Amino acid sequence: MKLTLKIWRQENAKTKGKMVTYEMSDLSQDMSFLEMLDVLNQSLAIKGERVIEFDHDCREGICGQCSLVINGQAHGPESHYTTCQTHLRSFKDGDTLYIEPFRANSFPVIRDLKVDRSSMDKIIQAGGYISSFTGMAPEANAIPIHHDIAESAFDSAACIGCGACVATCKNSSAALFVSAKISHLAKLPQGKVEREERVQWMINAHDEEGFGSCTNTGACAMVCPQEVQLIDITRMNFEYNRALCHSKE
Amino acid sequence: MAFKKGLFKTSIGRKNLMAFTGLFIIFFLIIHLIGNLILIIPNSFFPIEFWNNVANVHDMYNAYSHFLVHFWPVTIVAYILYAAIIIHVIDALLITLKNKKTQGEKYIIADNSTSSWYSRNMGVLGVFIGVFIVLHMAQFWLQYKILKIEHDLYHLVIATFKIWWYVLIYEIGIIALGFHLVHGIESAHRSLGVYHQKMMQIVQLIALYFSLVMAILFAIIPIILYFK
Ligand code: HEM
Ligand code: FES
Repeated sequence: MKLTLKIWRQENAKTKGKMVTYEMSDLSQDMSFLEMLDVLNQSLAIKGERVIEFDHDCREGICGQCSLVINGQAHGPESHYTTCQTHLRSFKDGDTLYIEPFRANSFPVIRDLKVDRSSMDKIIQAGGYISSFTGMAPEANAIPIHHDIAESAFDSAACIGCGACVATCKNSSAALFVSAKISHLAKLPQGKVEREERVQWMINAHDEEGFGSCTNTGACAMVCPQEVQLIDITRMNFEYNRALCHSKE
Repeated sequence: MAFKKGLFKTSIGRKNLMAFTGLFIIFFLIIHLIGNLILIIPNSFFPIEFWNNVANVHDMYNAYSHFLVHFWPVTIVAYILYAAIIIHVIDALLITLKNKKTQGEKYIIADNSTSSWYSRNMGVLGVFIGVFIVLHMAQFWLQYKILKIEHDLYHLVIATFKIWWYVLIYEIGIIALGFHLVHGIESAHRSLGVYHQKMMQIVQLIALYFSLVMAILFAIIPIILYFK
């Protein structure tokens, strides 16, 4: 199959970027989207041109490293997929694809399609953990947890931190990302110990890193590869308000 | 109970303020609508003998507005309402401006299929409502209550809604309000943390039907008065 690719090329965060057109032919429908970019890069390398930089690592939908916005859709046209799981069979022969980086002020472009998502790491560092003694792994059944709660906590914990929610949000809010971690820990007994501090620290970090205010449009949950639910944001808001109106004594 | 700073300041705190003020304004809207519906009571309904012998709509409406202006608890609630609207607008401005700044470069191709147009354009809908509120206040509140040019409010209302472009502006304002409310009611409950999936579905349904009923009832009043 044939595709016309219009790809965002940008030297670094300081320079202006632009779309560059590449014609691709002899593609197979069974190729993954990233394999197609590999093929394109191979041909650029042979011609001695600078290859297109894009993020990827596991290529099986678990690491959250791949990104890209394809025709305006974060992680491409399939809902709840990562870019690395997207295959060319999702497109039609002769399609034109606009390939852009995740765009948000908190995600500065490193080069081409690669963006710096360390702002999300800073939010996790601010409170996305529990304090406990290190050493031997504790006995797994020492703290009884209801099966449904464990499942629900796991659904929130499934966030792979890819940032598609931020890329899609018209406010560039990282609310879904933050709320996944807040909800994951708020649901479990281990997380309840520091629940008041955690939500305040993480929200403050979220705001300091320059992410916007959530207006509940719900676009984030529609693209999330792990299907983290919008209700997690609502739970985070509850946790935040609870923390501000509640004192430990 | 100890409130900490940030309740109305951070990205979430600002949304609390939006939600509280927004929901308060909605409470007012319900009362306002009920009062206005007096205007479309058919003449055949009068006189109401068992209730102060009200002879016609004119008397009933003016009695109602006289009550509003002269009953002091209503005055207090009215001032809270003015404050709520002003805080809501300023907070909306702060949120919308900050959110404009956090966006990076615009996407060359934008796909908006993942959210509703009215949820993305609350600020724009709000501006429509804002313009409408200013006009509305200038026409009725200013002339009747502040400048006291017009003493017969019923007369003023009837005369106003004989002007076709005024009716048109009114209708546009109401449509904007309807859409603002559909998202606003859901969003307010989310902002305040109603994190129950079933409850949220009920809130969504209420938001839709409540907004629809409010918008339709508000919208028919000027149309009926125009053709009366
Ligand atoms: C000049 C007038 C107005 C402006 C500029 C305005 C603007 C806004 C904006 C920008 C939002 C936040 C958007 C979001 O959460 O997605 C909002 C939310 C809201 N508005 Fe308004 N609005 C106005 C009037 C009103 C009126 C008259 C009502 C009530 C009848 C109202 C009720 C609400 C509610 C309930 C919310 C949801 C709060 C939340 O998300 O937590 N607004 N408004
Ligand atoms: S490369 Fe790991 S999730 Fe896509």
